[in-house]
Amino acid sequence: MKTETFNQLDKVIHEKGRMAIMTVLASNPEMSFKELKEMLGMTDGNLSVHIRTLQQAGYVAVSKTFVNNRPHTSYRLTKEGTRSFEDYINVLEEIVRLNRE
Amino acid sequence: MDADWAAQRLGEIRTLMERSALYRRALAPTMTGTGVIGILAGLIGWTLPIESGSGFCFFWMTTGVIALLFSFFLIRRQAWKDNEPMWSSPTRRVFQALCPALFAGGVIGFLGVSMSELDKTFLWKVPPLWMMFYGCALFSAGFFMHRGIKLFGTLFVLCGVISIYHFTRESVEGSLPRIVHAHIVMGASFGILHLFYGIYLFLTEPQPTNQP
Repeated sequence: MKTETFNQLDKVIHEKGRMAIMTVLASNPEMSFKELKEMLGMTDGNLSVHIRTLQQAGYVAVSKTFVNNRPHTSYRLTKEGTRSFEDYINVLEEIVRLNRE
Repeated sequence: MDADWAAQRLGEIRTLMERSALYRRALAPTMTGTGVIGILAGLIGWTLPIESGSGFCFFWMTTGVIALLFSFFLIRRQAWKDNEPMWSSPTRRVFQALCPALFAGGVIGFLGVSMSELDKTFLWKVPPLWMMFYGCALFSAGFFMHRGIKLFGTLFVLCGVISIYHFTRESVEGSLPRIVHAHIVMGASFGILHLFYGIYLFLTEPQPTNQP
């Protein structure tokens, strides 16, 4: 039962760095690359790789706009991303609950 | 894999969610600037001197607007330098938290400005009420900020409570000071408190570190 529950954990979100990105985006409607980088203390390369993975999974959407005539890239969770993150948390809670029983 | 691991990860998510919702723009220049504006206004009001009740309220409402515009300019400039939109979600949250108490304080000020003949007893209650409302505004904003804003707000509320008690007692005893001294109270509270808090923030500002 425990193994089955564990297998339900979304492997894309489960990686620590990506989980952190998903968490921050879940509590903020939109965040820039710089904000995410400062918040999570990641390097540019590391953050880019994780965001690309989340984008490919359809969890994160990117929007490119101009702020003060300068290009500005921001990220937000897609509906699928939000749902998957909620599911991930539910599975974690389920694991905790099962282990308490 | 055990429950501790899953519980720990849930804890990490909760902590990160709380931390990421915090307002992070530099407060030190805003607070220091507001402090200087407050002290200058206190000195100007005292030396001119502005003695009428409506004049007092108008003068300090204008000072408040100048301080707000100054803060707005600093926040705007920082957002521009960082190439970020000004109305980030933490900024919106802080703004919304500040609004109700600042609005209430503003209403008191407008009442004071609109009344041609202001009772001295009422007027001496305006600075403490402003302190209390401003303190409440800061305390509310403190839920989305860090670095002692809640404590700073509490300090304003305490100053307001102490001064309203003091001035009510003096009013009962019929020994209320001249209105011109209210400028000193305003300059000392809004000016000096902001200045000290700004200096504290400058001294304790976390230095940016280069992550590997």
